[in-house]
Amino acid sequence: MSESRVTSLVERKNIESKWVVEGDPWEAFRQIEVITLELTQSYRHSLGKYSRFFLELENGRFLGTSCPTCHKVFAPPRPLCPDCLSITAWQELPGTGTVQTFSIMHFPSLVNDDVRRLETPVTLAYVLLDGGSTLFPHVLKAAPESIHIGMRVRVAYAAAPVQHPIHLMYFVPLEE
Amino acid sequence: MADRMPMVIGVGLTPFASNREDCNVRDLAVEAVLDCVRDAGIENLDAVQHGLTSYESDHFNRQMTLGAILHDTLGLNPTPNVRVEGGGATGALALRTAWAYVKSGLCDSILVYGCETNGKSIASQTANQLFALSADVDWEMMVGGTYTAFYAAMMRVHMEQYGTKREQFAHVAVRNRRNAAANPFAQRPMDISIDDVLNSRPIAEPYTLLDCSLLSDGAAALLLATEEWAKQHSSRFAERPPVAFTATGCGTDTMRLGDRYPHLTNFAGKRAAAQQAYRSAGITNPLEQIDVAELYDSYSGVEIQAVEDLGFVPEGQGGPAVADGMFDHDGALPVNTSGGLLGRGAPVGATGIAQAIEVVQQLWGEVTPERQVHHARRGLTDTHAGIGTICVVNIFERQD
Ligand SMILES: [Zn+2]
Repeated sequence: MSESRVTSLVERKNIESKWVVEGDPWEAFRQIEVITLELTQSYRHSLGKYSRFFLELENGRFLGTSCPTCHKVFAPPRPLCPDCLSITAWQELPGTGTVQTFSIMHFPSLVNDDVRRLETPVTLAYVLLDGGSTLFPHVLKAAPESIHIGMRVRVAYAAAPVQHPIHLMYFVPLEE
Repeated sequence: MADRMPMVIGVGLTPFASNREDCNVRDLAVEAVLDCVRDAGIENLDAVQHGLTSYESDHFNRQMTLGAILHDTLGLNPTPNVRVEGGGATGALALRTAWAYVKSGLCDSILVYGCETNGKSIASQTANQLFALSADVDWEMMVGGTYTAFYAAMMRVHMEQYGTKREQFAHVAVRNRRNAAANPFAQRPMDISIDDVLNSRPIAEPYTLLDCSLLSDGAAALLLATEEWAKQHSSRFAERPPVAFTATGCGTDTMRLGDRYPHLTNFAGKRAAAQQAYRSAGITNPLEQIDVAELYDSYSGVEIQAVEDLGFVPEGQGGPAVADGMFDHDGALPVNTSGGLLGRGAPVGATGIAQAIEVVQQLWGEVTPERQVHHARRGLTDTHAGIGTICVVNIFERQD
């Protein structure tokens, strides 16, 4: 490639369309320049009315919310009950539960340092917490071959610093 | 046709590919629209009364207000325009919106064009982060979750509850890629075996690499109008069998799979969408009354769930029905003759429109002879966002 003053330049080339059989109408537009486009985004991201869940995780407590009207218990929490539009109340759960389904991920979403630190494969487990009505999705740290639907698990709390507060917790097998 | 029934006047498509480096996103839209103008037998876009832009992601396309830019690029100003977004269902939701615009009398003709650059121009790390934004960010994606895993977790319950087998959904991965071989615009035709699928590398168990659909660059366009408008402006309308967009249904479900407990095997939103569309089209036995369909095979097993939720077979019987060839080209109801998302590709904003184009061209008798379904008079498209979070079912019928 000849010298260019474009610092983001990736390549310049002529591209033939492999779909044009004859008489390319775009013949004069086949010279292509490719550059790197950098867009970096960072946010002051409020966890809003869900915040107390994350605050209490740091205290080693697992909270859901319960609907005062229809008594459904949401974990992950919902500030609003979608069934009856009541404002819910925080409710502590014991943190034990049962795996209802799972997937062993060989390519987890590397969205933060917490995930990048995990040993792959990573198991995403959907856990029905004791006292809860919905399934909570999170990492289950256990030997992949030992994981099954119906497996008893519990919430474990991270000791090391984390980037996203959801990683203050994860699931481990429950030794009963 | 009575009641301002929206008719399909013309269709246009770009090839789908993993890397259309010869185009940016607006170049793709231009190619599809020019193809549509030619196909519709209209001289230009001057008589078109409305535009509708279909795309999912400002991030993937590196452009906000893409609707305004494409509308401008196509010279459609000062015609009104609207942009429609509904995740993976964007293209089908766009057509559903266009249906209502024509039906209501807001306009007599509307050009629906969709595009997306989901291909290799996005670094995989960036793509990962962008996909993270399309699930429930703080709860599903920050833990490392992927859409493949969400779908896989559904399929695991389907397997456990109904005895569905990996070989059965591998059949979909094999068949749709084989179908793609008869479609010159398909991204990834392959001649593979069930074993190839089972032995490809695991992505999110039980799904392997070959169970997963493609990331694509591409665009699609479809011109919808009343019969009266078509007779006045389209030189081709009288040449081919009239095809109407007769019915549309839409249903939704929770964002997170876990909130659907204990109903984890199937797509309730898809069921609702299909029931609406069937009621509107007077369909009581979909397997008998639909001749061809494009189903949303984002993962191979999803097609098994879809044939159940669309009422082609009872819930839990999709696995054996698919593996028996019921939905193969020579089966009772041929599906994904285009190759589907697995074989043709899936540039999100174009996908639902491209599905409609395959069905409409089947009804016109204009696809390649190897994939033509004979005597097809009524076709269906099934498209969804998320894990069936927004579902759209559209129905097209010959009127002659
Ligand atoms: Zn309630």
